[in-house]
Amino acid sequence: MSNSPLSGAGMAQAVPARPAPRSFKRRSKRLKAALPYLLVAPAVIYLLMITLYPGVYAIIQSFHEVKFGPWKPVGFANYQKLFGDYQFWGALWNTLVMGSIALVLQCVIALALAFHAYRDPWVKGWRIIFLVPMLFMPSAVAFIFKLVFLDGRIFSDILIRIGLIDANLAIQSSTWMSRALLILADVWQWTPFLFIIFVAALQGQDEEVEEAARLDGASWPAIFFNISLPMMKPVIAVALILRAIDITTMFTNVFIVTKGGPAFGTETISYFIYRTGFKFFNFGYASAASVIMLILTIVIAQMVVKRAFVSARS
Amino acid sequence: MARIELSNIQKKWGAFWGVRDVNIDIADEEFIVFLGPSGCGKTTTMRMIAGLENPSEGEIRMDGEVMNDIDARDRDVAMVFQGYALYPNMSIYENIRFPLRMRGVPKAEQDAAVRRAAELVELTDYLDRKPGALSGGQRQRAALARAIVRQPQVFLMDEPLSNLDAKLRQAMRVQIKHIQRELKITTVYVTHDQIEAMTLADRIVIMQSGAIQQIGTPDEIYNDPANTFVASFIGAPPMNLIEGRLSGGTFEAPGIRVEGLPGAHDGQVTLGVRPEDCRVTAEGAHLGGDVYGVEPTGDVTYLTLKVGESLVEVKADRAYRAALGQGESVRFDPDRIYLFETGSGQRLR
Repeated sequence: MSNSPLSGAGMAQAVPARPAPRSFKRRSKRLKAALPYLLVAPAVIYLLMITLYPGVYAIIQSFHEVKFGPWKPVGFANYQKLFGDYQFWGALWNTLVMGSIALVLQCVIALALAFHAYRDPWVKGWRIIFLVPMLFMPSAVAFIFKLVFLDGRIFSDILIRIGLIDANLAIQSSTWMSRALLILADVWQWTPFLFIIFVAALQGQDEEVEEAARLDGASWPAIFFNISLPMMKPVIAVALILRAIDITTMFTNVFIVTKGGPAFGTETISYFIYRTGFKFFNFGYASAASVIMLILTIVIAQMVVKRAFVSARS
Repeated sequence: MARIELSNIQKKWGAFWGVRDVNIDIADEEFIVFLGPSGCGKTTTMRMIAGLENPSEGEIRMDGEVMNDIDARDRDVAMVFQGYALYPNMSIYENIRFPLRMRGVPKAEQDAAVRRAAELVELTDYLDRKPGALSGGQRQRAALARAIVRQPQVFLMDEPLSNLDAKLRQAMRVQIKHIQRELKITTVYVTHDQIEAMTLADRIVIMQSGAIQQIGTPDEIYNDPANTFVASFIGAPPMNLIEGRLSGGTFEAPGIRVEGLPGAHDGQVTLGVRPEDCRVTAEGAHLGGDVYGVEPTGDVTYLTLKVGESLVEVKADRAYRAALGQGESVRFDPDRIYLFETGSGQRLR
């Protein structure tokens, strides 16, 4: 079959009379109509299986008390309990605080880096170097941070040797230091993601417009704030939503580095759900928390999308 | 408001010469046009004046002051770009005001200046719109207003009319020239359109392959071309260039015989004559050929004759008509015949 096009043509000629091509035509018509559906089917089935089914399952479960035995319908009891649960509110607050600080930090850093790098002749190299943190497995990153800052005390050791501190940093006993550590890990791993998106957006900017601004007397910061930033608004919005959704579900780092401590000070909603479900086996309650988180994420995303795109369009 | 001197300007990218040995002295208030085919280095030369590109060698001076190391934003030069380069996120008003804001002009003066500039380009009714909501011609005028609003030392225009349709282009041409005369600002204008160059320029700089071919007033360029490139680039339809032999003041080529030419250049030469300097007549004819094509345009009829192996274009009377293949003879205006060296294309005088 090394010369398949040729042998194919030979076969077509060898087929006698007409019926064969006609039936082929008819089949191809039906196939043509079905083809798009067939092509997306695997993806759709996959998505339904891993999102819709568990989603619906969780919603149903959230109205039941589920503890190993048969499901017991409890109406809104799980939700009622949730609204009075200080640990749930604490987790929500932690998620919000750490998430927004991490988000702002990585956005600002990525913007600054992107604006410095996008006309650099080495920009391709920068992009590859910046890609590296993203290529690490999240759990590996978490372990590195745990090693450097907690168990291995590498960070403390360096500070001691420089002479900045006298004793090991008790990061694990300080809520804010623990939060800072989780924020740092997230910023380290995900700033590159934003950087790459922002560089692409800036490179798409009309170079003539930039030159016009320079001749009009604009300094680089002025160009950035007056021209580049407004132009990038929709891109920034989309990138931030992606990151925000990801951060809202922050789990790996919490699970590996701090386990939510000290005293629930770094417990995120995801970790709260995990703890409720898989440590206390209170599945119905955990489902209710998941549903609330889902609603929250959708609402936030909708708000951001609407704002960013309306202002960019008008 | 400024005199610009370019001396021995070179621009190289690796082994590629963008611009070589450019020497121009642009007088204050002059309207100078860089003309040439794309890739001839005209835009690069302008960008070096703007400070968007650095010359590899040579000096750029404005009013005697060397500009090479001065940043684009400090040169007090305004530029109109081919693609207009308006700021898409700002209204037209904000676009025009931007250079004033960036240069710290007092707020009170800004508004008046913006309105004056908008009035000059007849854009007062569109100040609230964003560039996306304007037509090409309006965008072009907005870009012009943004350039004139701060009364710069120098205007640079990079093919500002090439994205407009023919009718609008003509109207804008007149407007640009009028505004330049009114504001008395030294202007450098880049184009590949010879009509724009002829109509706008005080002086034209013709460039090819990074080098200047000729500098002169439109009349000089048209009447006294330095070489075959200039001769064929200016004028529409272009000058007829016919290769032949010159001996003892008589030029001969298949179907052509011209006597009484200067006799100092015996040998292989190229004879140039513009279509508008030819007359269809049998009396004292220099050329005989067969009609190859007749193109009436209304005010003039273009006649193409096949003479030997080459085609010769003649501007005939508007009423002139002829059948294809018909024999025809043409006389050149003897005072307007040019001779060029065949190999180098240089003018023989």
